[in-house]
Amino acid sequence: MKEINDDQIRVLGENPDEKEKAENREQRTDNREAISQSQQPSRAKPLKPSAIANSHRERSPLPSSFMRLLVQFLGWAVLVLLLSLLLFRTEDTPPQPLSSDPNVSHLQGEPSANSQQLSQGAALQPLNPSTPQLLNQTGRSPHTLSRLTHTPLDGFTEILDQTAGEIPLRLYIPHLAELTLHIGPLDREDRTIIYAACAADIRADNGGIVGAFVLRGEPRAWGLSKKGYCASIGGKVSIGVADNSPLFEQATHEGGYFFRQYPLVADRRVVDNRPPGTSIRRALCDRGGEIFMAESLTQTTLHDFAQALVDLGVDQAIYLMGSTAYGWAIDAAGDLHEFGKDIYYCGEQPMPKNLNYIVWRKKRE
Amino acid sequence: MKNKLLLSTSIDLVCIAPESIVYIASDGNYSTLMQTDNVSRVLSYQLGQIERMISTQLGSEGSIFIRIGKSLIINRSYIYYIHPARQKLILSDVATFSHTVSASKEALKQLKELLEKEITL
Repeated sequence: MKEINDDQIRVLGENPDEKEKAENREQRTDNREAISQSQQPSRAKPLKPSAIANSHRERSPLPSSFMRLLVQFLGWAVLVLLLSLLLFRTEDTPPQPLSSDPNVSHLQGEPSANSQQLSQGAALQPLNPSTPQLLNQTGRSPHTLSRLTHTPLDGFTEILDQTAGEIPLRLYIPHLAELTLHIGPLDREDRTIIYAACAADIRADNGGIVGAFVLRGEPRAWGLSKKGYCASIGGKVSIGVADNSPLFEQATHEGGYFFRQYPLVADRRVVDNRPPGTSIRRALCDRGGEIFMAESLTQTTLHDFAQALVDLGVDQAIYLMGSTAYGWAIDAAGDLHEFGKDIYYCGEQPMPKNLNYIVWRKKRE
Repeated sequence: MKNKLLLSTSIDLVCIAPESIVYIASDGNYSTLMQTDNVSRVLSYQLGQIERMISTQLGSEGSIFIRIGKSLIINRSYIYYIHPARQKLILSDVATFSHTVSASKEALKQLKELLEKEITL
């Protein structure tokens, strides 16, 4: 049975082999006709102009799907040109409120007093001059995905919806927070947690953590089944792909955190992984030093998801547990955004003893 | 008696009439079968394997199912609403269940064209 891609459909129960053979037969007949015509040009009757037009339409060398793609491409090119012209013209205008960006939708709950204050800039402080972020004339860093123009007073997760390639993504960008790891059930009432998601995989046979895992300086698992890694040491998060990383030892010496997962993107290139199925995918990403989590809003393959991250400009990315793996984020308004299914918290199933999370906690003053 | 679809693993077996299946969605190495009674069942097969079983076991009767992209097999009898631009497909019997699923714009466009063509034939 032929492979199918996301843009194709197929009616089941039809014998694909026979259909294919019939198509091949038709194609061979067409080819033979074309050859015989090209060998006998003088015998061919002159065609009327209308007939020529019709035959050209019927035997266009370019398939209609290619023509459609060409037209779409030209359309997009014109659109991009217009947008870039528009951007050049609006660079001198003062900064707009956060929610006005047409390219990014901010996912927020009901407009609480906090969120209203935030959008008006009343609860914001000017960026600390020592913050290593370059701001353009609109007040935004030209290199970050975050749309914040000011440093907030308290930690939270900025949630953005974007489309990369054809894959809709939800981005979770932590602010004023640091990355830690956690094993076991989390306290969902703990308001210092602004983002939590399942991190390393767990073995089905003995419940052990797959790959090396360091929790607050204490190695809890060893091994190299997956080459992607993430380390958080002294507040610095490193994501990469390597067989052996000195960060594992460094994490154990300096009380840091380390875990392994599938690598998705290494140096802006897709890393191919074997799991072929489609599912909701999640990743921990580094884009020019900006660390954030991405989640596909539709079921997708690991490869397509990784390609979408590359399209987004991600330098390094590793996988986080996808599908129904549970987690949550707290946005600027303090609203809770859950993803996955909380089967272990509502008592539907017993929680595996080594279920582990990446946890972004608000930075302490 | 109408053919039923048998999905057997080493530990269990699901025997279901084709018309009781609303859709089957892929979830990694597993698949989720949504039934007309709103019960969903996780199957330890990949979608491609289920597609082959449908074709082998049901033959031409399997044509009530349409594979859409890599992630979905739907029962065409329950197609209620297609909106390619919004990537939205609603499967419903307009009485007891309604499930919204998503697929690529191009695939939904093709599905819409397929149904339109079948009506005009």
